[in-house]
Amino acid sequence: MTELSLRLAVSLAQIAAVMGVVMLTVMILTLAERKVLGWMQDRMGPMEVGPYGILQPIADGLKLFFKEDIVPAGANKFMFSLAPILAMVPALIGFAVIPFGPSNKVELFGISIEPFVISDINIGILYILAFTSIGAYGIILGGWASNSKYSLLGGLRSAAQVISYELNVGLAIVGVLILAGSLSLVKITASQAGGFWHWYVFALPAPQIFAFVVYVISAVAETNRVPFDLPEAESELVAGFFTEYSGMRFAFFFIAEYANMVLVSCVAAALFLGGWTSPWPGTIPEYLGMPQLAWVEGIFMFTVKVYTFLFLFFWLRATLPRLRYDQLMKFGWKVMLPIALGNIVVTSIAVYLFPRG
Amino acid sequence: MQTFIAWFKTIIFYEILVGMKATMSHLLHYKPVTVQYPHEKRTLPDNYRGMLGLLRYDDGTEKCVGCDLCEAACPSRVIHVVSAEVPGEPTKRYSKEYYMDMTRCLFCGMCVDACPVDALGMSREFEWAVYDKRQLQLNKAQLLAIGDRAFPVREKRLELQHPNVAFFNVSFSHVPPKPN
Repeated sequence: MTELSLRLAVSLAQIAAVMGVVMLTVMILTLAERKVLGWMQDRMGPMEVGPYGILQPIADGLKLFFKEDIVPAGANKFMFSLAPILAMVPALIGFAVIPFGPSNKVELFGISIEPFVISDINIGILYILAFTSIGAYGIILGGWASNSKYSLLGGLRSAAQVISYELNVGLAIVGVLILAGSLSLVKITASQAGGFWHWYVFALPAPQIFAFVVYVISAVAETNRVPFDLPEAESELVAGFFTEYSGMRFAFFFIAEYANMVLVSCVAAALFLGGWTSPWPGTIPEYLGMPQLAWVEGIFMFTVKVYTFLFLFFWLRATLPRLRYDQLMKFGWKVMLPIALGNIVVTSIAVYLFPRG
Repeated sequence: MQTFIAWFKTIIFYEILVGMKATMSHLLHYKPVTVQYPHEKRTLPDNYRGMLGLLRYDDGTEKCVGCDLCEAACPSRVIHVVSAEVPGEPTKRYSKEYYMDMTRCLFCGMCVDACPVDALGMSREFEWAVYDKRQLQLNKAQLLAIGDRAFPVREKRLELQHPNVAFFNVSFSHVPPKPN
């Protein structure tokens, strides 16, 4: 009984920690995006709230919290309220299987816990794919339940786009799964340890560089970011699927979008860039004779990789205009899909000819 | 070979990379072109055309002679002048009432050009946002106040010292002279 409650308490603490970190990251992202976009466009970004505008996310959050919550006339109230939750929960729940650091075991009150691995389920990557697909329902339902033509068009676009690019995401990571021989993100990350030439982007016998490019492009499309932000194209659809949303419900969609960005960045880092592993064999604390601090470097490496990936999102947004809808579909089905399929064939043959380990 | 280069540029997203290099160079050589407006203001050009104001002579008398030329010159029909004789001096006229509807003004400066006695001036004020549109319907007293605060030193233009023009430069007994 005590062990069970202890495990429950530890799990809840881990969940709270991960939620806190993700929410903090989302807050940082909302500011960082505006700042980076501003700098790239020779502007300053937010400068008013706090020194250099660093308190802007708090001001935004307070503003959204006190805004009036409007449900438009003719909207389906239940679906309208359900949609933001349906968008946000899958975006946050995917973090459960991400390994944030080395799987060190810590003995605490007689039970051993792994502080940086929330749960190591053997179908981790499938779990993430399944839940991000559910996130699309939130967008589609939100668009449909709003009783607005812009919302509906945004939701429909989102449906088509997410289905098309979800497929490419799934196919792009198959090469990695063939190389790793596992669906568990913990095992995939651990098998990339020992230098950047072991990361699956560069790993012999089949470097997954093409799969990585396909994954990056599809991830941008899947999170509805520029240049694939057709579901919320403001020049065409006002604000797309969340046109009618205000206050905290809008904030839920907003958090979901940024949490999805963080999630795809984490998955990209874990699958292709070696997760928490360092780009050199071993870790610096080990060389300095402090192997018990190796997890610091692991966490640091993971953070650096994720933030590099997130910076790429901002960078693309500052550079590229929006794609036309037929270009989007053509690019997804005629370019990305054959590359992903070809990558699977090449990787399979390479792994068959040169079996690993 | 040419087609191969074109194909290679396509598969490595050459054009997109060029664009991303451009945005990155702007990030690295960060030099904002915007200013933090209420805290710091851009320097205005010398010939900036801001809020209109009515001017006075050094002794505090109004320059305006009520000729209506500004009203005729205005393309947006901003100005409305009610001209009248100076009380007690039947040969001299002045603007009894002078209205400007600044909601319509497009700051072309034609009224200033049209004025024969240089009675209108364009100040460098531009922060005239108001909550009520009616506050932009200015009367003579308000326009004189703008002129007073925008042009504290009124230099006489030499050509206006000609006797034919100076004939209109009258002082009114009911307008107290401006203290120096």
